[in-house]
Amino acid sequence: MKAALQIDGLHKRFGSHQVLDGFSLQVARGEVVGLLGPNGCGKSTVLNIVCQLLQADAGQVQLMGEPLADLGSKARSRVGLCAQDCALYPDLLPAENLHFFGRLYGLSAAERHARVAELMESFGLGPHARTRVGRLSGGWRQRLHLAVALVHRPELLVLDEPSAAVDVAARLDLWRLIEGLRDSGTTILLTSHQLSEAERLCNSVALMQGGRVIAQGSVPELLARVQGEAVASVASSDHAATEQRARRLGWTVRQRSGALSFLLPRRLSLREVVDALDAPEVSAVSVQAVSLEDAYLELLGAPQTKNYTTD
Amino acid sequence: MIGRSLLLAQTLAVAQRLLLEQWRQRRGLIFWAVFPAAMMLLFGLVYAHNASMRAGLDAAAAGILMGAALFFSCLGGTVAIIAAERERRTLRRLLASPLHPSAYFLGVVLAQLLLAAVQVVMLYAIAWFIGARYHGSLWLGGLILLLSVFAYVGMGFFLGARFARRSEEVVVALSAIGVPLLVLGGTFFPLEIMPGAMQAVAQLNPMLHMNQAFKGVAAYALGVNELRFELAFLTLFCVLAMALGVRSYRQLLALEQRA
Repeated sequence: MKAALQIDGLHKRFGSHQVLDGFSLQVARGEVVGLLGPNGCGKSTVLNIVCQLLQADAGQVQLMGEPLADLGSKARSRVGLCAQDCALYPDLLPAENLHFFGRLYGLSAAERHARVAELMESFGLGPHARTRVGRLSGGWRQRLHLAVALVHRPELLVLDEPSAAVDVAARLDLWRLIEGLRDSGTTILLTSHQLSEAERLCNSVALMQGGRVIAQGSVPELLARVQGEAVASVASSDHAATEQRARRLGWTVRQRSGALSFLLPRRLSLREVVDALDAPEVSAVSVQAVSLEDAYLELLGAPQTKNYTTD
Repeated sequence: MIGRSLLLAQTLAVAQRLLLEQWRQRRGLIFWAVFPAAMMLLFGLVYAHNASMRAGLDAAAAGILMGAALFFSCLGGTVAIIAAERERRTLRRLLASPLHPSAYFLGVVLAQLLLAAVQVVMLYAIAWFIGARYHGSLWLGGLILLLSVFAYVGMGFFLGARFARRSEEVVVALSAIGVPLLVLGGTFFPLEIMPGAMQAVAQLNPMLHMNQAFKGVAAYALGVNELRFELAFLTLFCVLAMALGVRSYRQLLALEQRA
């Protein structure tokens, strides 16, 4: 079966800045792929090219086996975009926004009414049916924004940092909605700065750096590429001494500023770590299994000052 | 290529959305109605007070409709629509949809045309009480209105795309570029009292031809034959305005793509 989205060798330059440099990615049908990477690595540029908001300088994008260039504007009817900014009409009601976009995509009146009713119900928008969008909370607006992206039943849903601008409760709500879409077989390409979001929602994660994918795989596959099984975070009054001791134990030093962090070759209990360090300068220790955050740092070789969040 | 039925559906969707938004912004709607009504009343009082000027009341009503009401609602309204789409980032969202630029332009024209029709009825109702009359062919008047709305919307797209990135810039763009065009359009002074060079420049101003054509039919009951130059100019300008409007919209989208 052909991939839902096949991207080969994309190049894009803005002035002197090479944003994409041979970017390639495959998204299988029904799969949720997350694009992760530091700010400016080209994530949004990839989405903009897929949504035909930008043209690549070189490379090819195929949607359901057909080149995007051949599909022309028809491709827009096959992709649903939920961008970072909530692009909705604040003076209209939620259903009116859905109807408006439904009409732009050429849905017939009967089809549109059925689809709007379906989305209003599945996104729980019923209680806010008589509230103008401008008066909805950020979380509800983002919910509606996602519903608008789905109004024409796109074959590929593109989410650009879908929960970046909402509070924790709204984020969890959105995640549940996206999980529902994933479980119903919707193909999704999403970008995120939140590793926990990618870990929870994505079947596969692509790590980007310098305008290209440097690693792609499922979360367990990416974790398997980390040369260790656990991470110990240590608060120490003498970093040099603690580091030296850790190196002798065969542990890899992962972070140098703030609290020390060591990559352990095998899973150790908290007691085992404390006993192994056995140092008066150590005031606190915690041990956790290797996470996507560790894989991210390991594979991107990113210094800890890079912009990422783990909440 | 986009199918005609989709183009029509998109045009109607855009027009309906704009009218609904206008309806919901009640305060704006009140000002939109009050401004030309107040102008008509003030002019009416001045003209009624001076017996020698009373004959010019019919032409004044036509001038207020073209130069005040439609200028601010169709031209200013279009600039405001473009600025709002940019500000709310909906323009980018529209770009990701299959909405055709022509459908967007025609949708704005249709919405402005319906608003203009309401303004015509409202303004002439007030004018009637003051003593002004409409003398010419309603069909010809309607045609001039249609051409004028097209022209205003085209100019609105051009100004909005180039000069109004935010809502606050709408008034500035309108004042800096629109009002001089209004002056050169013979709205405030008759063309005859302007210096020769100004008169020559004014001939290129579509607002002048809108004013002259509508005054001609409304106040002096002139026919197609007498107004053929103005009608030809306006028709040509409409084609240009539509091309300019769609082009400005495309350029705007290209700018949004780079944003």
